[in-house]
Amino acid sequence: MSKFVDLITQLVFDAAPQEINTVSELLATVTDNKSNDVILQVVGEYNVAKRLPIDLNGSYVFATEYNKQGSKFYDPFHKVLFSVDHLKRVGLDVESHEVDVTKEQKDIYEQLGDYISGSFPGSGTYTVLPADNADELVIIIVSTRYSPNNYWSGYWKSEYIYNSSSRSLKGDVHVSTHYYEDGNVQFNTSEVFDEEEVDEVVKTIHKLESAFEARLDKSFRELNEGEFAKLRRRLPVTRSKVSWGKAIGNYRLGKDASKGM
Amino acid sequence: MSEEKFDAALALLSRLDPENLVANIKAIIELEPELAGDLLSSVDTPLKVKSDTDFQNTEFLCCDYNRDIDSHRSPWSNEYLPKLSSEELTESPFPSDSLRQLEIAMNESMDIYRDLYYEGGVSSAYLWDLDEATDDFAGVVLFKKGLESVNRWDSIHVFEVINTGSHDFTYRITTTIILHLERQGNNNVTLSGNLTRQTEKSVTLNGAGSEEKVHLAHITNLGSTIEEVESQMRGLLEVVYFDKSRDIYHELRNDSALADKLNKHKHQELIKGLQGL
Repeated sequence: MSKFVDLITQLVFDAAPQEINTVSELLATVTDNKSNDVILQVVGEYNVAKRLPIDLNGSYVFATEYNKQGSKFYDPFHKVLFSVDHLKRVGLDVESHEVDVTKEQKDIYEQLGDYISGSFPGSGTYTVLPADNADELVIIIVSTRYSPNNYWSGYWKSEYIYNSSSRSLKGDVHVSTHYYEDGNVQFNTSEVFDEEEVDEVVKTIHKLESAFEARLDKSFRELNEGEFAKLRRRLPVTRSKVSWGKAIGNYRLGKDASKGM
Repeated sequence: MSEEKFDAALALLSRLDPENLVANIKAIIELEPELAGDLLSSVDTPLKVKSDTDFQNTEFLCCDYNRDIDSHRSPWSNEYLPKLSSEELTESPFPSDSLRQLEIAMNESMDIYRDLYYEGGVSSAYLWDLDEATDDFAGVVLFKKGLESVNRWDSIHVFEVINTGSHDFTYRITTTIILHLERQGNNNVTLSGNLTRQTEKSVTLNGAGSEEKVHLAHITNLGSTIEEVESQMRGLLEVVYFDKSRDIYHELRNDSALADKLNKHKHQELIKGLQGL
């Protein structure tokens, strides 16, 4: 049984994030619906790990290990307690719930809102939660897009731990895009950040992520002009298409002659 | 096994990271062993390379089409490697003598084409008879570039050549290109996947009399079609891997979105101002 769980986990965790619903349905068909409870459990773990936004009547929140409360989750800014239907990624049994929010937590949250509405054209979801240690806050930003009619999806996640006494900011960003019309093409990138002496948290995040974006645009250009171009030429050195038929052997004769063979 | 289950397995693979294709096929087969045969024969995976010890260690490409038991037939020596026993060989598939002549000539031509476009890499072509009563045949032409590198290109052209009337032939080609690009650094970037396209072409072989001439005409027609398809797909791969991925990325995050929004706002204000004049 645990081998089965391992295999399901491997496959589910390889799904393009916005397409997890389709992946879980297809997995159920492939496995004859014999262990849909295992699939449901693994999809739940996947949603938490990828910080996939949960729909609470039109507003989006996260279900993570940081805001777990018993079998439910709380959100300090929407002031709610909720459970999650992991297959649909919607909140259930939503009830109002107040928790104390520090001034710093609230300030960061509000500044994040401005940053996200400026730089994230996708549907951006974000939060600031107390982390495991006092003095520490976890900051999560997720931006997703899914266009099944055009066969593509995209996912951004950046997550940081900010320590207000040491003023350090550690985190990483993961991005993937998926295009699957007449094929299957995936782009993945990630980067780790480790900043010291941070005064303004959101400004620092903005600066780090903008530099990441600029490097990414450069990597695309360089991969295209470098590694890609080296694999196969657009045209042969002769700049004309191949003369097929009997004459094709002349290319080799020409090449051997030029080598003095 | 139900058709539905097999289709679901194929659809599932198209939703999972193509970089892990081989591992994911293996996992699906472990879950549902009855899917093994169909999945292994219908999903294209990166080509393996072997050396032909009977032909100056010339490299050749391996796929399900030149496989028997755990050995692969080399297009150069026509031997299965590692060697099969004479008993096993009685059951092994080989092209008929005439088709083998065409296979030899096709490998020579495709090897020159490979040199001209790939400037390195390995090519192999394999043919098999479709029906004893006709001259219909099928085959596969393979190219692989980037053996030693993390950046790899695999071209797989599977085709059928059908005689539709005296000198009329239809060529049906299914092409899959598997392309993997990556760069390690501050930010690790990988672009991985495959695209598939089908092509059909009908040609009348005028004045092709001798078998040698017919063979030459088939190589010319298949060769020029493969050249055309690869050129188109190279363009398509460039658009999907670079432009499309970058466009989707910028739907997620875009620093210039704020500037655009502000400009748009200013522009609207300006128009309002002008309208007010």
